[in-house]
Amino acid sequence: MRPPKTGRGGGGSGGGRGLARGGGVSSTRGRGRGRESGRGRGPGRVKSRESESGGIKGGSKVLVTPHRHAGVFVAKSKADALVTKNLVPGEIIYNEKRIFVQNEDRSTVEYRVWNPHRSKLADAITTGVDNIWIKPGVKVLYLGASSGYTVSHVSDIVGPEGCVYAVEHSDICGKVLMNMAEKRTNVIPIIEDARDPAKYRMLVGMVDVIFSDVAQPDQAKILSLNASYFLKSGGHFMISIKANSIDSTIAAETVYQMEVEKLQMEELRPTEILHLDSCEEKHACVFGGYRLPRKQKADNAV
Amino acid sequence: MAMYVLYESSSGYALLEVHGLDEIGQNTEAVRTSVSDLSRFGRVVQLTAFHPFESALDALNQVNAVSEGVMTDELRSFLELNLPKVKEGKKPKFSLGLAEPKLGSHIFEATKIPCQSNEFVLELLRGVRQHFDRFIKDLKPGDLEKSQLGLAHSYSRAKVKFNVNRVDNMVIQAIFLLDTLDKDINSFAMRVREWYSWHFPELVKIVNDNYLYARVSKMIDDKSKLTEDHIPMLTEVLGDEDKAKEVIEAGKASMGQDLSPLDLINVQTFAQRVMDLADYRKKLYDYLVTKMSDIAPNLAALIGEMVGARLISHAGSLTNLAKCPSSTLQILGAEKALFRALKTRGNTPKYGLIFHSSFIGRASAKNKGRIARYLANKCSIASRIDCFADGATTAFGEKLREQVEERLEFYDKGVAPRKNVDVMKEVIENLQKQDEEGKEPVDASAKKSKKKKAKGEEEEEEVVAMEEDKSEKKKKKEKRKMETAEENEKSEKKKTKKSKPGGEEETDDGHSTKKKKKKSKTAE
Repeated sequence: MRPPKTGRGGGGSGGGRGLARGGGVSSTRGRGRGRESGRGRGPGRVKSRESESGGIKGGSKVLVTPHRHAGVFVAKSKADALVTKNLVPGEIIYNEKRIFVQNEDRSTVEYRVWNPHRSKLADAITTGVDNIWIKPGVKVLYLGASSGYTVSHVSDIVGPEGCVYAVEHSDICGKVLMNMAEKRTNVIPIIEDARDPAKYRMLVGMVDVIFSDVAQPDQAKILSLNASYFLKSGGHFMISIKANSIDSTIAAETVYQMEVEKLQMEELRPTEILHLDSCEEKHACVFGGYRLPRKQKADNAV
Repeated sequence: MAMYVLYESSSGYALLEVHGLDEIGQNTEAVRTSVSDLSRFGRVVQLTAFHPFESALDALNQVNAVSEGVMTDELRSFLELNLPKVKEGKKPKFSLGLAEPKLGSHIFEATKIPCQSNEFVLELLRGVRQHFDRFIKDLKPGDLEKSQLGLAHSYSRAKVKFNVNRVDNMVIQAIFLLDTLDKDINSFAMRVREWYSWHFPELVKIVNDNYLYARVSKMIDDKSKLTEDHIPMLTEVLGDEDKAKEVIEAGKASMGQDLSPLDLINVQTFAQRVMDLADYRKKLYDYLVTKMSDIAPNLAALIGEMVGARLISHAGSLTNLAKCPSSTLQILGAEKALFRALKTRGNTPKYGLIFHSSFIGRASAKNKGRIARYLANKCSIASRIDCFADGATTAFGEKLREQVEERLEFYDKGVAPRKNVDVMKEVIENLQKQDEEGKEPVDASAKKSKKKKAKGEEEEEEVVAMEEDKSEKKKKKEKRKMETAEENEKSEKKKTKKSKPGGEEETDDGHSTKKKKKKSKTAE
């Protein structure tokens, strides 16, 4: 039965873009189609789902420059956005926008936009952390990987030389994480409770950085236990502290202090504490080093 | 006293011996400093033995055992082979360092090898982990990561109960292939017609079907050899004796030119190819139908396999389809029309791929939109059941289909359809009856029948409790609750009868545990 050709009927599946698929490579500067047509289009505009990219419109001129942190880039147009270079061109994880840039030799490089509202690490970077310690070629242990949004960006940064061990306890998120890991070979999914690093000790090697975003009351202990198994001496860590997860009755500042003290007792020496107030309430990020050699101010991890 | 250390890696078990114990003593600090330097560490710890895992399956067994703290036979034999023998009665002169004390107690029980796992051992293991790839000479740099990756995937899959049969990718690929095949078969068949018409042009008009044409042309071969004897064969193929006679007549008076035997052979091979492709297409279609009934039986029961498969492939996966709201499902496939209408403030399309199901055609013009919306709602329910429920049953799909039919009738004649609540209740009852019937022969006892009576009364209470909750909550949650309610009811078979508030609590409990999604079917 052929559907009627007028606009009201159900058309064939050609033409418009599908839901989650990004379609093929579009023209030079960003997305040509006005699906997420931003402001100023007047009548008939589609409200974009969230301010995913913070204002990057399709079709506008975008300039991509490297960020201070290796592996991260900044896309400058009317509003700036944090991007990472897509390890698997053509694949997106969660309807994020992509930016295509043409090189001199006519090949396109694909970048994915990193949303600080969705990812604490991106939030930390935009707030202005000194050093995230995650750069191309490092091995990262990621506790609390959830569906893998931030994990995918970390995997973009570390590139094919590095690897990300993503630990997530929940089944539902685990399934999504595993699907993502099937496309990216530098992500190793481990569906297990992070409280028992002994259980997955066979699957993990020695890592350079531990990133912890578990939101559990005993998260300091979890981090220190994992560090004692898998974090190399002189390695670094980042832990995101949600004040309400630890103790919702006391002030946030006190909670952060308490957590820092717990960490210091386990040889995890904090170097930076960042308050993430732009995108989330009562959240802080602590960066630091593990078993750092004394009498030396080591800037870079050995 | 000699000290050994067991290190479990994704590629195999390694046993290392710790030297220089005297100089280090049992001092963790000293170990730490030596760890950072490979040459120093290499003198402290040396590899005694390495046992690589035999296969991926073996590795998976080992990692499962290790995570539980259980010793496998392979580990046992590896240890007994490579460690000095423990003599009866005498105190062993060595000890084995492990990461986990639980595993240590297992090993000690079975083999009397003394095990320890203190801070000192943990420091040593850190060192081993750091420099492991140097210890094992056969391993190339990337190998360890690859083995970790593969092992982690299989371990995690087992954890989330990854079922190979319910992979929706097969359906998506199959439907793409089906479309491509259709196009290709059509173009090849056209080519056969043109080519053979050089020899026998009249045949094109007599035989319209592509597949039949290919068969006939193959059978006729050279038209000058056509005689009355061929009529039975042609009749068999064409199904019509008159047509067969027409063919013969036309063959005699044909204007087409003769073809050399070689040319004829070529045409024939090609015609054979077309027939093979058409047969394959049929098989592929059957495969698609089977797969759809495996992964999305309710969706297939509701709108048919083809439309269902197209929806899944358009959304990208069954999970994506289940996640999108039913208004999106309604216009999946009509995106161009949709966004054009939104931009120009015109009328948005009423249906997308859904249009190809039979229901839309049967509705009158006025009601097409309403039926489309109703059908999309039911499809959403069906796809969500398929995606998130364990067990493949078409019960819900069939009932949903009935509901759509009823709705059509309502538009037609004004016959009021049943309420959704009632229909769903029926489904649950049917499903339970089936389960009971299935389990009765297995476990037939008087006690059980008594319990069933009590259970029957419980059921009513549960169902009533469900009904009340239903009016408040959304349909998606309903489905999940029903499953957990089913779960609860089954587990209640063995428990005593609960009062109504207790029953409601149960469903709420089940509600909170729904996130786990592990349908624990109590073995009965």
